[in-house]
Amino acid sequence: MRARNSTEQQSVETDMKLTVALLGNPNTGKSTLFSAIAGIPTRIGNYPGVTVEEKVGTFLHRGHTIELIDLPGAYSLNPKSPDEQVAVDVLCGNINSVAQPDCIVVVVDATNLSRNLYLVSQALAVGRPVLVALTLCDVAESKGIHIDRKKLSEFLGCPVLRLVAPRRDGVDQLADALIESRDWSGQVVPKALNAYLSKGAESDRPVAAADAIARYSWIDDITKDVLSFSTKHSRSLGERIDAVLTHRILGTVVFGMTMLSIFSSIFWLATPLMDLVSGGVELLAGWAELVMPDGILQSLVVNGIIAGVGGVVIFLPQIAILFLFVAVLEGCGYLARAAFLMDRLLVGVGLSGKSFIPLLSSFACAIPGIMAARTIENKRDRLLTILVAPLMSCSARLPVYLLLCSAFVPNVAVGNTWFRLPAVVLASMYLIGIFVAAIVAFVLSRTIFRGPPQPFVLELPSWRWPQPAVVGERVREAAVSFLKNAGTLILAVSIVVWALGSFPKPIIQAGVNPESAEQQGEALRQSFLGQAGRFIEPVVKPLGWDWRIGCAAVASFPAREVVLGVLGVIYNLGDVDPGEEEGAGMLIRQLRSATWDGTDRKVFTLPVALSIMVFFALCAQCASTLVIIGKETASWVWPLVSFTYMTALAWIGAFCVFQLGTTLGW
Amino acid sequence: MSITDCVSLRHLIQEFTMRSLATVNIGTTTQVVDVSGDDNTSLRLLEMGLTPGVEVTIVGTAPLGDPVELELRGYRLSIRRNEAARVVVAT
Repeated sequence: MRARNSTEQQSVETDMKLTVALLGNPNTGKSTLFSAIAGIPTRIGNYPGVTVEEKVGTFLHRGHTIELIDLPGAYSLNPKSPDEQVAVDVLCGNINSVAQPDCIVVVVDATNLSRNLYLVSQALAVGRPVLVALTLCDVAESKGIHIDRKKLSEFLGCPVLRLVAPRRDGVDQLADALIESRDWSGQVVPKALNAYLSKGAESDRPVAAADAIARYSWIDDITKDVLSFSTKHSRSLGERIDAVLTHRILGTVVFGMTMLSIFSSIFWLATPLMDLVSGGVELLAGWAELVMPDGILQSLVVNGIIAGVGGVVIFLPQIAILFLFVAVLEGCGYLARAAFLMDRLLVGVGLSGKSFIPLLSSFACAIPGIMAARTIENKRDRLLTILVAPLMSCSARLPVYLLLCSAFVPNVAVGNTWFRLPAVVLASMYLIGIFVAAIVAFVLSRTIFRGPPQPFVLELPSWRWPQPAVVGERVREAAVSFLKNAGTLILAVSIVVWALGSFPKPIIQAGVNPESAEQQGEALRQSFLGQAGRFIEPVVKPLGWDWRIGCAAVASFPAREVVLGVLGVIYNLGDVDPGEEEGAGMLIRQLRSATWDGTDRKVFTLPVALSIMVFFALCAQCASTLVIIGKETASWVWPLVSFTYMTALAWIGAFCVFQLGTTLGW
Repeated sequence: MSITDCVSLRHLIQEFTMRSLATVNIGTTTQVVDVSGDDNTSLRLLEMGLTPGVEVTIVGTAPLGDPVELELRGYRLSIRRNEAARVVVAT
């Protein structure tokens, strides 16, 4: 009796759990449907070994627990990209972390039924029950497209349900159908499809091509019967928008303006938020100083941990804003058009149109830019984009450029134009980054990353309103993943840098105030960091730098923003903040009067200032970026490669500029 | 000549004597005859619906003439010129 009860219990429990795969083309509103059915995903991460996103949600319906796997968008189950490979692997049950699906829901876009049915034709062969969820029905109806669902269901041999996901229309019926699917014996491939497939196998084409053509022959038969069009009153709004946006001239103008506004808003929208964050961090530091007794622990907490973590959290507003824009553009369909417009230009340097948004974003901050490279399915293009993204001069380099330009570049007009030299030099620093990135991408794409040409077959989705739930989800996901990943390592690095800069402690002479600016400078000079600066002096001398600049450069390797602060301390300015106007003025005066040890020769000449700027333009002085590169490429090789090649290029660039400048007598 | 030689010759002749999507004017609507090539790119073009017999319109191009924007099977697709050159269309 007892044994029978427990087996019954077991079989009842297994009956209550269902694993469902959500399959579909990209841009069909799959994510919206996922949110409508399953809410917020219970599990998000990467599938093992690849950087393809795994998204699983769980929900209850009529006593059943249903696990919904949102598969990556796929055009075909004949995999040509990592995303499609993952979809196939999950459907075959090859992935350990997810159960093999009991049932497959194929999301079909009613506005282009024909192409969407291709995936359905393949899903029918998997052997599991298939349900077709017809989405974007409202958009289709407004375009005058009518689909006879009953007939379609007969042709396919599986249920076809009508859904309008944002309004949750049809979601309950879908859940009901999922539970009922347990009672089906298994999916069969429609006879008509099989007939076409066997005929195709006899042709002289390669198998895959014959297969594709056979499937579309079957689909054409179906759509002739099932699809009908009613005449529309006028061109739909979407078509009118498209006419403008893909117009050769107007389209490019709108595109330029859109990119410009995104780019500038990342700066001015983020700034007040960043000020808020840094204000909060300062408050926390102040409180810690008050509460903790003076000493090493206080220094560790305030200067190491709080400063370090604050340095990470300050990126959050930019990341959130950037991902908000990217999600909105992706949701409304503009991202594909941006890639379309920029492709020709980027192909010329070995990249592709889809690299445009990640690279543009990197001008604000490379971290969200590199994360945005996930939209590039082609592995090679994605890696190349990630490798050159840090060369786009990010906002953290700007204070260095601004300070050095205003201090050491003579404020004269260039030739007979109204352009002033400091502004030209500033713009050149940005251009140098772009130029070097183009060369690096070009060279890499012809050498190490040489490979067969990857197709740029890109769907231009119809215009639609981005779904707030999906946009919100993307932003939240990006922010959380950033904080989790970068936060742990950056914290560690900040502590290490703090330690190197605080030990060994100098011997305090009697009667001297240890808090004074001179003492702080002396303390830094005698620490490991200072010693490192002296140690690398022979390496930086050809760049025209003295050991103090070398020390500041070493100290800014984890995060380049600290360089001005470190320079301030080394030049005995104490805790003065060079970010503030007064502080900047003091720093400039100190730098202008700095001389080489034991001589009267000025350290900071124009060639030196230029070499420092070029070094900063090309160097990978951002541990956060390197960490993100590691996470996005799932390997520690690429951060190492980035660091090495960029440091080498930075040294060469700074060397050339300094030597050239000195020779030309600038 | 073997069967395979005949097949490749046929494809070669098609490519040189018939028009492709790369050479058709903007705004024209035409029919696909075949997609040449045996690699992943050609397969991808077929899978996206550029199959023999389908009606396709060249809607426009990007500012520098590449890539091209097509309309077929009720949706818009963009492909590069060198990919479009593989799609043979009716004259």
